[in-house]
Amino acid sequence: MTEQALNRHQQHRSKPWGKQVLAALLKRHSARIGLIWIGILVVIATFSPFLASSHPLYMLVDGKVSSPLLAHLSAQDWVWLAAFIFTVLLAKWSRPFWQKLLLWLGLVAVSAVVANTLASPPTLIIYEQYREMQAAGELDQVIYAPIPYSAKDYLRDYANTGVEAPLEATERTHWFGTDENGADVASRMIHASRIALGIGFIATGIALVIGTIIGGLMGYFSGIVDIIGMRLVEIFEAIPTLFLLLSFVAFFGRSIYMMMVIIGITAWSGYARYVRAEFLKLRQQDFVQAAVACGLPLRSILFRHMLPNGLAPLLVATSFGVASAILAEATLSFLGLGLIDDPSWGQLLNQAVQSSTFNWWLAVFPGGAIFMTVFAYNLLGEALRDAVDPHTNRSRRA
Amino acid sequence: MKLLEISDLSTDLGGESQWQSVVKHISLTIESGQTYCLVGESGSGKSVTALSMMGLLPENKFRHPSGSIKLFTDNGNGQELLGGDNALMRSVRGGKIAMIFQEPMTSLNPVQTIGDQLDEALQIHRPDWTAEQRNERILAALKEVMIPEPESRIKEYPHRLSGGQRQRVMIAMALICEPALLIADEPTTALDVTVQAEILKLMRDLQRRYGMGMLFITHDFGVVAQIADIVGVMRYGELVETGPTSEVLRNPQHVYTQSLIAALPERLPRPSRPEKAHQTLLEVNDVAVHFPVRRGLLRRVVDHFRAVDGVSFEVNAGEVVALVGESGCGKTTLGRAILRLQDVTRGQILLNGQDITHLSAKEMRPLRRQMQVVFQDPGSSLNPRLPIHTSLVEPMRVQGIGANDTERTERAAAFLERVEMPTDSLWRYPHEFSGGQRQRLAIARALVLEPKFILCDEITSALDVSVQAGILKLLRQLVDEDNIGMLFITHNMGVVDYLADRMLVMHKAQFVESGDTDSVMQAPKSDYTRTLLAAVPRLDDQYLASVST
Repeated sequence: MTEQALNRHQQHRSKPWGKQVLAALLKRHSARIGLIWIGILVVIATFSPFLASSHPLYMLVDGKVSSPLLAHLSAQDWVWLAAFIFTVLLAKWSRPFWQKLLLWLGLVAVSAVVANTLASPPTLIIYEQYREMQAAGELDQVIYAPIPYSAKDYLRDYANTGVEAPLEATERTHWFGTDENGADVASRMIHASRIALGIGFIATGIALVIGTIIGGLMGYFSGIVDIIGMRLVEIFEAIPTLFLLLSFVAFFGRSIYMMMVIIGITAWSGYARYVRAEFLKLRQQDFVQAAVACGLPLRSILFRHMLPNGLAPLLVATSFGVASAILAEATLSFLGLGLIDDPSWGQLLNQAVQSSTFNWWLAVFPGGAIFMTVFAYNLLGEALRDAVDPHTNRSRRA
Repeated sequence: MKLLEISDLSTDLGGESQWQSVVKHISLTIESGQTYCLVGESGSGKSVTALSMMGLLPENKFRHPSGSIKLFTDNGNGQELLGGDNALMRSVRGGKIAMIFQEPMTSLNPVQTIGDQLDEALQIHRPDWTAEQRNERILAALKEVMIPEPESRIKEYPHRLSGGQRQRVMIAMALICEPALLIADEPTTALDVTVQAEILKLMRDLQRRYGMGMLFITHDFGVVAQIADIVGVMRYGELVETGPTSEVLRNPQHVYTQSLIAALPERLPRPSRPEKAHQTLLEVNDVAVHFPVRRGLLRRVVDHFRAVDGVSFEVNAGEVVALVGESGCGKTTLGRAILRLQDVTRGQILLNGQDITHLSAKEMRPLRRQMQVVFQDPGSSLNPRLPIHTSLVEPMRVQGIGANDTERTERAAAFLERVEMPTDSLWRYPHEFSGGQRQRLAIARALVLEPKFILCDEITSALDVSVQAGILKLLRQLVDEDNIGMLFITHNMGVVDYLADRMLVMHKAQFVESGDTDSVMQAPKSDYTRTLLAAVPRLDDQYLASVST
């Protein structure tokens, strides 16, 4: 058989399973709605400094062109932008998914190191200076972001600012009102979308990796490994996540990364159960036995022959897991134990009821965002369950 | 007396705008006391015909473009069943027409006792009976189907019964309201041959006693020969041939019937078996596999379940050895033990003179390429998430066959041609192939490693006869050309007769007989072998000549 003939046959390639599931998923309206919302959130999170910032994007002072916004971009901003660009670039690359994922993680890690060494935004930030310069007529030309307030811009130059309802102030425009410190709610929500997305993905990612490895080993080896593993699962399921988070916050201070790790290492037990059950079932399947009989190494049997076949329930559980991680962070922030200065949706919710009056805009907008995001992930999970379930595709069979 | 008349029945399945014609213009008549056998390969529409009669097709997923199904009562009045409303169909189902399904393991409700399940049918169809009357009838029904100790069985749950006994309970349930017509959809396919023979005899006796009509659906001509009065052969939804059983079997008119009967393994032309130099490839000495039975809080080992209990045999190069036995006799466990997929309790396995019984997984790995396996279920024998290319190339890469992936791909393509599959199968996924094609691909996966020994575990039992015939021919060819030693596990005597040079008969974890295929077939020494051979007739010339007209 010649090379040419082989290439000709390659044109008859059928769609791999992943693409089939994706196609079945995109046929469903609920999945589309969920994906569109998550997509919007990703774009907002990536470009949040360009959407809401007190620093002008472009300004002309005494014939000198400058961009304070770009100068004030932090290392974190650069990493988000880099990750977004890598995602777009890698999406077009025809390689197996796990190779792309590993490369993406590598590139993001490298860009994080580079950004942290190279990016040095000024540590002293004075938000008022631009408004003062504009008032004094020093700015010849200026372009602001669509929402000209940073998340931590407490509008000190206006004095005595506090909670204001949407569009209440006459000299400023706050579409979603301001919070108790006088910061723009819309701006804080935009910047908080990073935390919502980040905590969902990273916490669930950690849980997924731990759960898959432990569950896979339990399911494949069974016996004593299974017994020890299951006891470990039961121990971890007995730990109240919220209580653990509260104690860690009390002892070690508030850190978003610590929260991600704690949610991750307490949530893996569910995934481990799923993977274990799938592997126990798959172990007896003929193609796995045939793989053993071919002398394939354990790594290949576990990750090439068993894992992809047991992935379906895991995918569904993952999308619900992301939703619950977001809720956990929101709960913590609502209780006032989240981040202090950094924006978070839960923290805004907290302020809605803390003051003597009920500030509806502090409840409706962040609450709506949490609701929409959790709902989007749940819609996606539900649609995934339908897409990977073979029974729903069997109607055409006689 | 005419009991049921189907005329010009067509059934389409599908829904909305996509309709697929599954049954096309079928006409048949069943008389009281007569057994009409619908025979055909999978997908020929025989089950859909039966479900159309019962009105059991999935709602809104079917339509009948033409046809009528008339059920006649004793005084000759015909009642139209097609398109009947729910009330009519409920009174017909169970009361006038009863049905038995294929899978005895799932057709009884596991959380209800057998007595309760039988009682329910009576409560509905005989509402005026008292509890004592019903109880009496249930006992009588269980006695009729020859369930031992029916009084105590009434209170038991289905899991306590074997497959054969469950099928007997199903028959009792079907007959409890004395239906005029019994539809049996492959009722013995999931059973062992000896059990199948008993069930068939029971059904024949009961039919005679009640004088009911029977529509029997099967794919097995051996069963047809045993039970049918009239046989109808179906293909692609059409009834291609009908006639009295003895005539159709002896003198089939339609080309398709002829090809079906010719494809029976016992009627395939015997290939000439070249004389081989006697060279022992695999030697099994006194091998036993025991599974510990643990009880109690401390999981103490109280007993051992002896799956395989001391068996010895050898397989020579270029020879097919058949391992015959019924389900649960330990033949699959023995096969797994030989491949070292299962640890042995005692004994010795020698491959080419090398003791492999206690080699570690690492030491075993290079030897794996010498012994390969093909499994029974075509649905799970290939990884559904990988294209065929990966399934074939990966083992070669691991075992160091071929210099690079291009070379390995070419080898894989060559082996696909050898198992008579198109080479573009490489880039497809298992679900795009039929059962027979998947088994060919599984054989190709075993062959790419150039093994010296192949274990085939019931690899044709899930396939249609014509597909099976093709695979059997291919296997014999491979064994003869490549000098491979093969252990072929099966329960089908026809397949043994065609394929095997020697045969081993296994019963209750031990061998009861072994020897050359011809001598065992002609003159079995043990009673068990005789029962096995008598259970289902092989439709060879000798048998057909004896079929009475």
